[in-house]
Amino acid sequence: MKKRLSMLIAAAAMTGLMATQAMAAEEISFWDIATDEPDKTIWSWGVDQYNENDSEETGYTVNQVPTVNDQYKQKLAVAMASGECPDMYIHWTGGPMVEYIKSGYAKDITELFQKYGLDELYTDASIAQCTVDDKIYAIPVKNDSVAMFFYDKAMWEEKGYEVPTTISELEALCDKMVEDGITPFALANSAQWTGSMYYMYLVARYGGPEIISDAYDGTGSLVCDATIFAGEKIEEWVEKGYFPDGVNSLSPDNGDDRALLYTGAGMMLHGSWQVASIKSENPDFYENLGCFAFPTLEDSEADQSVVVGTMGDNFISFNCEDDKLEAAVKMASYYSTDEWMQLDIESGNLPPLKAATSEEPAWQDILAVLNDASAIQLWWDQYLPSAVADVHKSATQLLFDCSETPEKVAQMQQDALDEYFAENS
Amino acid sequence: MNKESLASRRQRSTTICAYVFLIPVIVLMAVFLFYPIVQTFINSFTSWNGISANKSFNGIYNWNKLLHDADFWKAFFNNIKIMILSLVIQMPIGILLATFLDTGGRKYNFFKVIWFLPLLMSSVAVGYLFHYVLATNGGIISGISQLFGGGVVDLLGSQTYALYAVIGVICWQFIPFYMVYYMAGYSSISEDLYEAAAIDGATRTQYIKKIALPMLVPTIKSAVVMSVVGSLKYFDLVYVMTNGGPGTSTELMATYMYKNSFVTYNMGYGSAIAAGMFILITAIATIIMKVMNTGGDD
Amino acid sequence: MVSGKKKSHIGWIIAVILAIFWLLVAFVPFMFMVLTGFKEKLEVILGGALAFPKSLYLDNYISIITDLAFWNYFKNSVIVLILALFFLLLFSAFAAYPLSRFKFKGRGFMYFLIVACMSIPIHVTMIPVFQMAISTHMYDTIWILIPTAVAFAMPISVFIMTGFMQGIPKELEESADIDGCGRYLRFFRIILPLSTPGLSTLAIYNGVNIWNEFIFAFTLTQSEKNRTLPLALWNYQGQYSSNTAMIMACLTLSVLPMIIMFCILQDKLVKGMMAGAVKG
Repeated sequence: MKKRLSMLIAAAAMTGLMATQAMAAEEISFWDIATDEPDKTIWSWGVDQYNENDSEETGYTVNQVPTVNDQYKQKLAVAMASGECPDMYIHWTGGPMVEYIKSGYAKDITELFQKYGLDELYTDASIAQCTVDDKIYAIPVKNDSVAMFFYDKAMWEEKGYEVPTTISELEALCDKMVEDGITPFALANSAQWTGSMYYMYLVARYGGPEIISDAYDGTGSLVCDATIFAGEKIEEWVEKGYFPDGVNSLSPDNGDDRALLYTGAGMMLHGSWQVASIKSENPDFYENLGCFAFPTLEDSEADQSVVVGTMGDNFISFNCEDDKLEAAVKMASYYSTDEWMQLDIESGNLPPLKAATSEEPAWQDILAVLNDASAIQLWWDQYLPSAVADVHKSATQLLFDCSETPEKVAQMQQDALDEYFAENS
Repeated sequence: MNKESLASRRQRSTTICAYVFLIPVIVLMAVFLFYPIVQTFINSFTSWNGISANKSFNGIYNWNKLLHDADFWKAFFNNIKIMILSLVIQMPIGILLATFLDTGGRKYNFFKVIWFLPLLMSSVAVGYLFHYVLATNGGIISGISQLFGGGVVDLLGSQTYALYAVIGVICWQFIPFYMVYYMAGYSSISEDLYEAAAIDGATRTQYIKKIALPMLVPTIKSAVVMSVVGSLKYFDLVYVMTNGGPGTSTELMATYMYKNSFVTYNMGYGSAIAAGMFILITAIATIIMKVMNTGGDD
Repeated sequence: MVSGKKKSHIGWIIAVILAIFWLLVAFVPFMFMVLTGFKEKLEVILGGALAFPKSLYLDNYISIITDLAFWNYFKNSVIVLILALFFLLLFSAFAAYPLSRFKFKGRGFMYFLIVACMSIPIHVTMIPVFQMAISTHMYDTIWILIPTAVAFAMPISVFIMTGFMQGIPKELEESADIDGCGRYLRFFRIILPLSTPGLSTLAIYNGVNIWNEFIFAFTLTQSEKNRTLPLALWNYQGQYSSNTAMIMACLTLSVLPMIIMFCILQDKLVKGMMAGAVKG
């Protein structure tokens, strides 16, 4: 009723406007997290281009509203709860995107996606991440973010270290580093998702990506050999001194992990966005930055080329209809143009576009790994429903001070999943 | 008879006058506080993800879950720890600082301004700086420990000590408030009293012990209530410094509510936590006020 | 007598030593906040917060001071602070007056409500307040930040003021009653001036809180032109890394006005204030 009334009013307003020939452009609100550089430039470029070239034709102008990342999700939730969901907004797919779809705030854009030829431009993995039940609900933007090991090539050469390809080689290398008085892993785990990368990779190497997808489907369990193996490995590594002192209180937000890497720690397992951060903050170190994929596990039957990460980093969804939706998608399609791609690549990113390549030396290794990857395993904390993701993060943190057994940590995660199933069945 | 009606008329005009003065506060609180808390109670009986337009009532499911939620009660007891330690640490130090400044007079203004600084700093800065004070590598606490031949101390990463480390920082930040509050309390004690005591041959110490501190008691009682309420709904620094970790060792009622409401899309349950918090805090504050016999009732 | 004096001298010396110790405890973190603002980005990451800057790198402070947007945030913060503080002090003194000095029906209940309101966790108010802001067309203006600031500081302020007003001797008011002042006039003539220490405490405490208020500022505004100072940090915070040196410089600059405010107001908390007011 209310909706119909407002549509009537809108229609009346429209005819009024038509009559006076003063077709003032309607506004499309667009929320993102581009509060600092270089994101500001990258994101506003698309908006500016659209407003200059297309707003007259479509009758809509886009108003970009950036909110800082830390509080973005909360602000978005408050707006949605109040029925004031913006017309376009970014998110990180996974569990929350499912909530947005369920609540009617993310419209199916499959047709428009094809109409603008976006399915030709974006990589399959990135489109897959935006797809639920064969319908596309979002457009990927900005960066392929996958977890890899980063290291200082010059230091490794000097010490005679070789890039490990298997987990036993990795362990041998770490033992040597400990002997040399070097902390092998530069990990800052107060944020919990950083340590989770080790866990996710070890689980995937032992049991493949099916472990988590089966558990989420309800056909498998997280209490299994793979998760126990991962937990035991991490605790073994903690005891052997692979991780820095106070690993659970070091903060990635303060850059404690990069500080360790800069000051001589062996290697850092982290998302590939670190390339951009290191490039802008420590150009000298950047020259010798190398990276390699998480080593493989010998005699495992699981697919060893799986990469953990996300294809796109930020994703735009739409909460508007008809020609407004079309205009909004048109705007978002600026994030797949060649010009924009160059801008994005220059700032150290790799957009999830098929045509994207990077001249940056650091990206060459990443690209090689990505090309070899058979599948991308989405970060668990994005893939799982938020409530379970939260338990996953705080439970795995307990492995890094060996305060819980691997069995208990696996059980805690499975319990959270079971509770989620019980409440959403 | 005539006299009685005069008294009741007088009483009525007193009551009217009282409410005239109370109107702005009643209106503001009704709009910005009562209304939201009523909404919260309603939401606590729903299954709502906090974003969708659809809420469905699910009876006492959330409340039942809350009563049996070990994480919530752990958070509650963490809050109780903060409450007790805040009282034990903040109140005495606040009184000592205020007494020092009151005795010293204007020439100690420098101390007053510096001592006040912690309250001025935003939680972002406090969280950031104390991260390094408490750090294992180059932190002050670890430095002192190593000086005495001990090992590195990882307070924030320890499930046992992280909460106490955070409480220490909270106290550091809020002591200046109680200092100012007690200074104001002292300032309402007439200087004549000290002069009279001095004529009687009392030393400053005797004056403080026998006259000033007893007169400060009502101020102390209000401070206790504020500290209790503040500790039980505390959010800021824990959110910034540990976000409830490691594990759930520093989880508080407010951070737990926040996570459920805005992070994990379970606003129905988040509302039950908030409503539960509200009931618990009000009850505890009321009991403490009754015990101290301060406040509303004559 | 003599030994008593001596003893108290020693006591005072110990007190001064402890006072200096506390001076360090309070000052050192503040100092490092200021100093971190003088570092370069990489220096902060490598050295952490507790190192002295290698050189006096002024660019952070200069680039903030010369940024017009910063001064706009500053202006917004000042407007919100002044207006919110004015209404807050006035209304809480209004409410505290009858609560502390009258006997009337419902007084106990009103007092209970005030304490209950102190117990409300602030986050539950966000969605209703957001809806109100939208429906009153005050969303994304600085004006919405004034009633919210006043409302949320109100319970604790009334609580504090009531305590202070209870301490004002009854006789003072009664003498005014004999002079023929009504209850309304007595409030402005006698009670309000005598409440200066309480009002100053409120002004200091709430001033700081309003100045640093973050939750409502970020929920209820969206355009850059309507942001307040605590949101100025956004320009230096990204998804994966933030420029801590800039953040600290920005925080240092935002704290200065509060230090000045405190220096002015703390004078009202000095002993003898009350006596002076009565004699005058």
